[in-house]
Amino acid sequence: MLIVSGPTGGSEHDGGGHPERPARISAVMEGIDDLHLGTDVQIVVPHVANLAQMARVHDTAYLNELAAFCKAGGGQLDPDTYAMVDSWSAARRAAGAGLAAVDALRQRDDGVAFVVARPPGHHALRDRAMGFCLLNNIAISAAALTADDERVLIIDWDVHHGNGTQAIFWDDPKVLYVSTHQWPLFPGSGTAQEIGGPHALGRTVNIPLPAGATGDVVRRAIGEVALPAIDDFDPTWVLISAGFDAHRADPLANLALSSGDFAELATMVAGFAPRPGRLVLFLEGGYDVGALRMSVAATLGALLGDSYHPEDSTCGGPGTEMVHQARAEWDEAFHRARLLNPSERRVR
Amino acid sequence: MRPLQTIAVGFDGSLDAEAAVRWAFELASQVDADVVVIHAVGLLEYAAHRGVAVELEKTVERLAREAGIDSARVHWNLADGDPCSVLIRAGVGPVAADLLVVGSRGQGAHAGLLLGSTSHELAEHAAVPVVIVPTGREGQ
Ligand SMILES: [Zn+2]
Repeated sequence: MLIVSGPTGGSEHDGGGHPERPARISAVMEGIDDLHLGTDVQIVVPHVANLAQMARVHDTAYLNELAAFCKAGGGQLDPDTYAMVDSWSAARRAAGAGLAAVDALRQRDDGVAFVVARPPGHHALRDRAMGFCLLNNIAISAAALTADDERVLIIDWDVHHGNGTQAIFWDDPKVLYVSTHQWPLFPGSGTAQEIGGPHALGRTVNIPLPAGATGDVVRRAIGEVALPAIDDFDPTWVLISAGFDAHRADPLANLALSSGDFAELATMVAGFAPRPGRLVLFLEGGYDVGALRMSVAATLGALLGDSYHPEDSTCGGPGTEMVHQARAEWDEAFHRARLLNPSERRVR
Repeated sequence: MRPLQTIAVGFDGSLDAEAAVRWAFELASQVDADVVVIHAVGLLEYAAHRGVAVELEKTVERLAREAGIDSARVHWNLADGDPCSVLIRAGVGPVAADLLVVGSRGQGAHAGLLLGSTSHELAEHAAVPVVIVPTGREGQ
């Protein structure tokens, strides 16, 4: 069973000519249609997130300022990021879509949820919009879960490092943040030495990868670098920052994945969920609408046991060395930090 | 207070940023410091406008000639990220600037004052002092 929370953002928040555009939502929905799921798909209509839900991860002052900025007509927030009059409601609805997905899974205790919403979220910081993102959708959902004492694994396979999500949960032992991303690339953070704050040592795992890296390298990165931390963490929920801009056709980056690779990645990360009904995917990037459509279909198809493979998976690209290096750097940083903070214990 | 050895200045090609670069060159000449001129490469610039950085570098070279600063003292730095984050990072390693300089508007400035500008964000988060060069300082 696939639960689609949304779609939302299919018409509002349109910067005109900007790559983060409403057409991305239609492409995602076409990808879902390609699977012909029939009664196996359930649509959830999300509400806007409320202030208390958003304030778990954003400063109230920022939320008020963003609301006022949009109301006054909006504009550029930084060279990449725009907001318009209706962006405030679009962003709150995107955040609400994540919360609705979690609620739907809790009620059913079964299935997989996909949050089809924009604007995306993983670059948004506690006090600042950034990188096309206004509110950090996945963080708002993760914080709702940790408020109920859940342990949340976030896997971020978007081609860019999710600096906002990492920063928000930097010192939170209830969230394990794992990211694979092209390096060097925007936003410039996400080295393997970034392992979490003093109360959450080892709760951040970054695996930077070189341009041209293929699907086998990304899977190896998660299997060889992140898996020990995931096993140790023993998550009760798994949330995915599912950007599809690591696809080889994407205009914003240079990794070399195919839609088939996302299918394999999805199968891999689904294995980290403790039981059915505990996996939520959040749409992040993905700016080539054809690649986005295929990648969404392949990903969800794999999760639902459907063999929809519009493209073969890829292998043989560069990056194996960087994966080994990330493993060594993470280990070294972790052991050094533990020596400096002998009293700190990772909390389960 | 540690001596001013490295001054980092943000540059996006705007007139405000040019004023900031000129001010940084002037200060560097007085105190015998290096200047790292930093340009933030965002998501859109990475994708679409790779020629932009080349033009900006030429402008910085021209500003350096006009200021009469020793060109060996001037370093051009393209950094992935948003303007605010790359300057905050310049205050720590590997650039390890002792001072950050920005124009009062320019790259990353918000259309309104509601959300504060890059300079405001910097003042809040930077590890080292920040100088905001006021608009219209040129010619004064
Ligand atoms: Zn991305």
